[in-house]
Amino acid sequence: MIRLTNVSKHYGPDTRALEHVSLNIKPGEFVSIVGQSGSGKTTLAKLLFAEEMATKGKIVVGDWDISKIARSQVPTLRRQIGVVFQDFKLLQRKTVYENVAFALQVAGEKSKRIRDIVPQVLKIVGLHDKTHRYPRQLSGGEQQRVSIARSLVHRPKILVADEPTGNLDTIHAHEIIQLLKKINEYGTTVVLVTHDRDIVNSLKKRVISLAEGRVVSDIQHGKYVLS
Amino acid sequence: MSVYLSIMRAIKFTFQNILRNFWLSFITLTIFILTLVTVNAVLFVNVVAQEVLESVEERVEVTIYFQPEATEDLVKSAQGYLRGFGQVRDVQFVSAQDALDSFKERHGADEIVLASLEEIGSNPFGNALVVSTNSTDDFEFILDAIETPEYASYIKEKDFTDYEVIIERIDSLSSRVRLAGFALAALFAFIAVLIIFNTIRVAIYVHRDEIGIMKLVGANDWFVRAPFLLEAALYSLGAAVLMAIMMFLFLHFSQDWLIGYFGDSHADVNAYFVDNGPVIFLTEFGVLAVLSLLTTAYAMRRYLRV
Ligand SMILES: Nc1ncnc2c1ncn2[C@@H]1O[C@H](COP(=O)(O)OP(=O)(O)OP(=O)(O)O)[C@@H](O)[C@H]1O
Ligand SMILES: [Mg+2]
Repeated sequence: MIRLTNVSKHYGPDTRALEHVSLNIKPGEFVSIVGQSGSGKTTLAKLLFAEEMATKGKIVVGDWDISKIARSQVPTLRRQIGVVFQDFKLLQRKTVYENVAFALQVAGEKSKRIRDIVPQVLKIVGLHDKTHRYPRQLSGGEQQRVSIARSLVHRPKILVADEPTGNLDTIHAHEIIQLLKKINEYGTTVVLVTHDRDIVNSLKKRVISLAEGRVVSDIQHGKYVLS
Repeated sequence: MSVYLSIMRAIKFTFQNILRNFWLSFITLTIFILTLVTVNAVLFVNVVAQEVLESVEERVEVTIYFQPEATEDLVKSAQGYLRGFGQVRDVQFVSAQDALDSFKERHGADEIVLASLEEIGSNPFGNALVVSTNSTDDFEFILDAIETPEYASYIKEKDFTDYEVIIERIDSLSSRVRLAGFALAALFAFIAVLIIFNTIRVAIYVHRDEIGIMKLVGANDWFVRAPFLLEAALYSLGAAVLMAIMMFLFLHFSQDWLIGYFGDSHADVNAYFVDNGPVIFLTEFGVLAVLSLLTTAYAMRRYLRV
């Protein structure tokens, strides 16, 4: 599903965020990416949805070599990959419903389909009774669920989540992880970037550790191995 | 993906942008309109100056006085000859008797003049032709043309009222007005470009989160750009339409004032704007739109990277 071959990302001559990273993620996998701050986790995530371009190496998503993706093709890629961030990235002046519908509107989806899909994904994340609230009227965990709902509207085969629990307390973090597991069980490949030792240990899924831009360990049913 | 839907949504987002940044929109529109006001003021002054110039030129005539020996037939044949020229607007025949009558009328109160006329006994005036041309530039030509062997010896005097000085003055005044006006219009246009540029920059800054999210969820560049471009086009359209309405009201209410100052000319000033109004305002809209779209495109390339 995702294959990186000898990928390097240099932001400048002295900032080598990733060096010779090779990894292969199979369809339906749930992979955690861990590592210390500055180890290149976010950079890796950004490469997957073409927010950044690799300096060297080859990245294949699905059957698609996105190493040299054309600008005009980026939107098409983004509609096939769901993305979730630590800071939710919700529009403050739009309601829960509108935030989710927005992702479909910008893709030119028909209004009728939007009216069908939005309640469905809001039900999956358990927010079907708060559709008309604004983000500021929701807890952090609820806001993150809105953002997850939005990432699901295109029925992505891959979901990339960069520290989705970073701003949440333990209980809400746990809820979000449960939700990601549920989405993974439906068949979506999940790439989770996280700092959280407890989460990684409780997941008992594959763990890839980065240090200074290199893969230092890659363990099935792994644990958080860094200090 | 439906193009129609995308366009409708882009339009919706455009109006949201305009309304949510009401004061910014208002100021932008005002600057657009100020630019057009300057351009139209220059245009208006020009048209008025042109009309005044023409009405003065119309009044300029050259009078050709013939010797008393020149018969009415000869003078009338000269009249026909002159009428044959394209440059000539009209040739009026003034008989010797008419000339005497009007002279007496003008100097009726002057005893000495009347006494000296008595002394002469006969009518000292000959027949005359009063020629008006389409343009003051043609007088030279007419004065030369009449100097044929057939008529030359019968001509006593050629004289044209000295409007040349007035015409030159109006000419130089109106070209100075034009120059100052265009300089002012160019200045306003420059300021407008800066303001449009800044407006778009601020708008992009205000919407940067929204734009970032749009791009993250897979909006293509055109869907991100369209509302900003549409906004610029709408300001141009709004300014042109409001300017046309203001111009209409101005012409309507300035009618009395124009009659007072320029006599009949005012009708032509109005007619000019009635005839050319659509072209004027379409052009102004077009130029504004191109200007603001280019500015917007540039601001987006610099600050939006789309
Ligand atoms: N846009 C950028 N320009 C220049 N350098 C960058 C840029 N983004 C990241 N870097 C550098 O690349 C390296 C990796 O950054 P990255 O954000 O991938 O780390 P991270 O593992 O996500 O860290 P954190 O856990 O703090 O989020 C860092 O040294 C960072 O300073
Ligand atoms: Mg990071």
